[in-house]
Amino acid sequence: MTSDVLLSFLPLVLAALVPACLFIAAFLISRQRARFLTVASVVTTLTAALTYLAVVLRGVFWFLGYDARTSRPGAVFNDVVQLDIVSGAMFVLVSTLALIVVRYSRSYLAGERELDRYSRYLLLTVASVSVLVTSNHLAVLVVAWFATDVGLHQLLTFYRTRRQAIVVAHKKFLLSRLADACFVTSLLFIGSEVGSLKIDVVNAYAQAHGELSPTLHVATVLLVFGVILKSAQLPFHGWMLQVMEAPTPVSALLHAGVVNIGGFVMIRLSPLMVNASIAQGMLVGVGLFTTIVASLVMTTRPAIKGVLAWSTIGQMGFMLVQCGLGAWHLALMHLLAHSLYKAHTFLSSGSVVHLWRGAHILHNPRVRIWHLVASVVIVSLAVAPLYVETALPIAHLSSTTRSLALVLALSFAPMIARALAAGVRVFLMALLLAVGASALYFGWHVVFELFAPWIDAGASPSKFTWSFVIDGLAFLFVVQSILQVSPNGWFASWLQPHLLSGLYIDDWFTRLTFRLFPPGLQ
Amino acid sequence: MTDRTALTDAAERACARIAPTWPLDRFIALNPFWPLTHKPLSEVAGEIAALSGARLLMPRQWYAQEWRAGRLRSEHLRAAIAENGSDVTEDELTALFWSGEPTPAQWPLVVSTMEALGHRDHEVTWPEFVMERISRFCATYFDDGQAQISGVRKGGFYASWRGQARIDQAPYLFMELGGYRSTVAKLPSTADEMIALGCSELGVPVEERERYLSALLLDVNGWASWCAYLRWTARIAGGDDGHLRELLAIRLGWEWILFSASDETIRAEWRLAMTSWPAIDRAARLVRSDDWILQRAVEIAWLSQLRPKLAKGFGAPRPAAPKLQAAFCLDVRSEVFRRALEAQGEGIQTLGVAGFFGLPIEYGQLASDDARPQLPGLLAPKYRVTDTGVPKGLEATRRARLNASYAWKAFKSSSLSSFAYVDAVGLFFARYLIQDTFRSQRHRADHPDRAGLTESENQTRMPRLTSTVDGEPITTDVRCEIAATLLRMMGLTQDFARLVLFVGHGSETKNNAHAAGLDCGACNGQPGHVNARAAAALLNDAEVRAGLVARGIQVPPTTTFVGALHNTTTDEVTLFAEDDGATTHQSDLDSARLVLDRASDATRRERAPRLGLGDVPDGKLRAAVAKRARNWAEVRPEWGLAGNAAFIVAPRERSRHIDLEGRVFLHDYRFADDKDHAILEAIMTGPMVVAHWINFQYYASTVDNARYGCGNKVLHNIVGGHLGVFEGNGGDLRIGLSMQSLHDGERWIHAPLRLAVFIEASRPALDRILEKHPKLTELVDNEWLHLFALDLPEQAVFARRNGEWKPAPP
Repeated sequence: MTSDVLLSFLPLVLAALVPACLFIAAFLISRQRARFLTVASVVTTLTAALTYLAVVLRGVFWFLGYDARTSRPGAVFNDVVQLDIVSGAMFVLVSTLALIVVRYSRSYLAGERELDRYSRYLLLTVASVSVLVTSNHLAVLVVAWFATDVGLHQLLTFYRTRRQAIVVAHKKFLLSRLADACFVTSLLFIGSEVGSLKIDVVNAYAQAHGELSPTLHVATVLLVFGVILKSAQLPFHGWMLQVMEAPTPVSALLHAGVVNIGGFVMIRLSPLMVNASIAQGMLVGVGLFTTIVASLVMTTRPAIKGVLAWSTIGQMGFMLVQCGLGAWHLALMHLLAHSLYKAHTFLSSGSVVHLWRGAHILHNPRVRIWHLVASVVIVSLAVAPLYVETALPIAHLSSTTRSLALVLALSFAPMIARALAAGVRVFLMALLLAVGASALYFGWHVVFELFAPWIDAGASPSKFTWSFVIDGLAFLFVVQSILQVSPNGWFASWLQPHLLSGLYIDDWFTRLTFRLFPPGLQ
Repeated sequence: MTDRTALTDAAERACARIAPTWPLDRFIALNPFWPLTHKPLSEVAGEIAALSGARLLMPRQWYAQEWRAGRLRSEHLRAAIAENGSDVTEDELTALFWSGEPTPAQWPLVVSTMEALGHRDHEVTWPEFVMERISRFCATYFDDGQAQISGVRKGGFYASWRGQARIDQAPYLFMELGGYRSTVAKLPSTADEMIALGCSELGVPVEERERYLSALLLDVNGWASWCAYLRWTARIAGGDDGHLRELLAIRLGWEWILFSASDETIRAEWRLAMTSWPAIDRAARLVRSDDWILQRAVEIAWLSQLRPKLAKGFGAPRPAAPKLQAAFCLDVRSEVFRRALEAQGEGIQTLGVAGFFGLPIEYGQLASDDARPQLPGLLAPKYRVTDTGVPKGLEATRRARLNASYAWKAFKSSSLSSFAYVDAVGLFFARYLIQDTFRSQRHRADHPDRAGLTESENQTRMPRLTSTVDGEPITTDVRCEIAATLLRMMGLTQDFARLVLFVGHGSETKNNAHAAGLDCGACNGQPGHVNARAAAALLNDAEVRAGLVARGIQVPPTTTFVGALHNTTTDEVTLFAEDDGATTHQSDLDSARLVLDRASDATRRERAPRLGLGDVPDGKLRAAVAKRARNWAEVRPEWGLAGNAAFIVAPRERSRHIDLEGRVFLHDYRFADDKDHAILEAIMTGPMVVAHWINFQYYASTVDNARYGCGNKVLHNIVGGHLGVFEGNGGDLRIGLSMQSLHDGERWIHAPLRLAVFIEASRPALDRILEKHPKLTELVDNEWLHLFALDLPEQAVFARRNGEWKPAPP
């Protein structure tokens, strides 16, 4: 073996050590007699360090030309572990979250019973996710996903005496097994068609063939259905709302880590998915419906963790829409950004009262309809140059960018309306904030396009799909605006109770599933 | 009396049994049985046990542990038996240690009858479902800023519920209650009609109605307590509030719905269930009567250590010519610090007084639209303190900054923009995650009052008494009167030191829903420096000094008053030397800072073992305690008032020689100086009641955390921005203290002992005040607290039991 190949292996070996350490610690921890979370903290610190080292080395070697991808054939290890920009980012995210969640739990759960069980399954969950994100084999990925679910199930039912936790875990259990069945079947189809379940081989096959065969269409549809089940998309979202019976750091791990796996898998298989028009259509349809409903329901919830749960459901929907549109780099960006944001928001959910007090030093001025109309006019003027034929270079921007700019502009409308209601000085400050946030928004887009250009490759979705999504989001904006401007009007009075009940979607769903599979069978 | 008015009265009486709970931003303590003190505690316990299943005693195992640890001994049991007059023997009491406590039955209601009938064999029970429906509705209705789209409030609480119940689909979709839709169509249009209809159709016997309605309210005790809070605040302001009665109608509405929408079996079963009520009452009354003797014995055991030490203080002389005086809040946490401060030198005198320093104020901070009360929950504010001394234009700047931050929040949390928000700034949260996890000790926990101000801007603020609550100026005469009362209340009318500190207290915690519960209870759950600084400035005012002379109080011109803040989490003390005294008393302030720092070190050392920092060396303890306070994942930042068990109202020299272990409230009082006993009356009706409230909040949260405590902090889910918490997904609004405030995971840190109040005053004077205030007599004679008189002339301690004074054994 040449030194090139050896060097290119080193990061992969380091990466493989991470789940290995975690698994070993998870199995040994039951024999440790005390300070389980201190042990877990040491282990996750070590694995985080290994992760950073692996990813940095991988990046450096790639830069120097010792690329594992290009150093085939004979690179056996390369078939097992894959560390590219997508899995590298996820790997860093997961290892960091694990470290933070463990450190947090060490103080937060002090004095709780059964911390050995907690530590063990926390490590097991994180180990499984580490395998999942770095694996180059679909079968390994599916098994790791299953293992993740097993570990998480134990964490969600940490308090065994809480009936609600057990009931919800049952519902989640049913959905997860259905998803597993979808994945296994899908893998059988993919394997029979492609002849391999290695992710790079499958992706290369898909890129080479372009249009998908009926078998692969079926496989991708099954895959997407499983992803929808596991990403808490409507109508399979109920468990996500009801898992607050577990300690806050478990919620953080779920909302920031585990629930994102569906999106990750989609991004991972983007060369295959690009041509899977039916599956992509499912992602857009279900994702958009979820985005709209969940983000509206979110605004009716009176308890913080309910708000966060609906928020996650909506954000997952949004990410799947991005996948369905083939905007893979945006989906990856959204996944990472949402994950970090949600982890922090959950872990700091005890600060709500503190924030509430800061937010109630002044009375909120009533936002009138003209404030909102004026702000819509202002943001429309800001994006108008993109739609008018001018000599300016911005006129040549893609329609994708135009649409994004429009959605972003509408996003600023509530802020600007609120600022208008508070006076000129505040309005100017809000304009500055809007400009700054826009710069960040597109800045991150550029960064991700630079770093992950190849995952944006392939066929671009039809204009119809894009306009479908934009129309959906515009509809969301209109509904939201009516509710904001006229909170006591007939429309709000009529819609609010239904939104509060989540449109009864989960009630229907639970009744149906529990009739088929009564709890207590596990 | 017509049937209708009798029913209205019964409903009103049921509502009157519910005590309020304060919101999280003003989380002050109250005895959750405050409206029930007209009956002996043990009787109330029996009654509540029957109505709601609540338990007002510790498990027998706990008493057994006290026995095995040697803290509870034979002589205590004998004393408790003798006091009770029971014919139970000592052996019969100790035999209880080996039998588990019986769980008495609880009144069946329609929801539990439905469940018992077993109509449904799947997951969610009827009591859970009804609780969830009511709780979700209440949370939405009372929500104050969490949801952006609030619930429909048109027509009021009950009408809004009725409207919502009529379109609710979950009862038939999810619970498969077939007759639901046709039943709710017949819901009466007003709360009173609902109560009348419910009682008559359910066939509740007239004599049981009050208690049945009371049981319904106890079933939703958290939200009932919230409604009681609305009523309490409305009444203090001179109005009234009907939400509690409407909540009763809603809960009864559910009973009626289940009853009417089901078939004949439930009707028969319900009639049978109602006949069981009297038997359940009887059983609940008797079942733990002997356990109350055990409870009393544990209290006697603790007092038997304290009383002999107290008696030794009778001969202590009044301190003369102190070099430094420092007045602290009567809070039990002050005791540890005061003892440490006094140990720094003979010339240091400390005083105890209610931490609002006698200022009945509200605080309208810079740029704020609302003022918040900074005084005990018993009182309504009369005057307003505002921020003075700030640079011109800062108010407008703060307003603009706050408004901009609120606008940013609209970007963050509106439906559509939440996605763009995450894309634009989500990745930056990596920084916050790392900062909060690994570098939290570098960042102080900011108080929300700091919002929209930089540190240096914040420091320019000087809270001062500026007007009445109506914005009228305060006359010099009134200011002098406030100042004189303030000094008399703390017994400081002569022998002034050059430097007198008024030390308020506040806590420093991060990410803590119940942070206000650790702040000064006498200041309505706020940090007390606002009151301390305003009081100090008032007394430094030349006009006020002159007016005090006319009122017989000579404050030497060389004396200066300085406000301060005791951070109870880190035990740091900050001085606010902001008047002229800051220049003229520089050396006094410097030496005060020195002794305060030493006292801080000593206090931290004493607290360290209970914080798990017992092994940390002296040099590192300060940093270790600060790090702990600033840890966002810390669920036990400090132990608050855990352990509180007694209240001593006497000059400090009576108790200065005793290590009271941070378990005792201390209020200075000189009987000889209080000719008309007005101060004694004020202390007994104010601070004593507040101390009892705190004591009983701890008591109730410990003995029945499921009903009167808020459960596990790890599962807390803040409701409505600041109303309270759910434990987990939902269920009732939770009141009281979390398990983490009472228990360290291994053992109870708080022992539920009723407050023992020691007052140095003549027994006839005490009797006169009790006679004048029947509520106080109830508290004492119904054993909600134990009252002792410290008799200086006789050098003896007397206990008041059953309305009579008896010499207390040493």
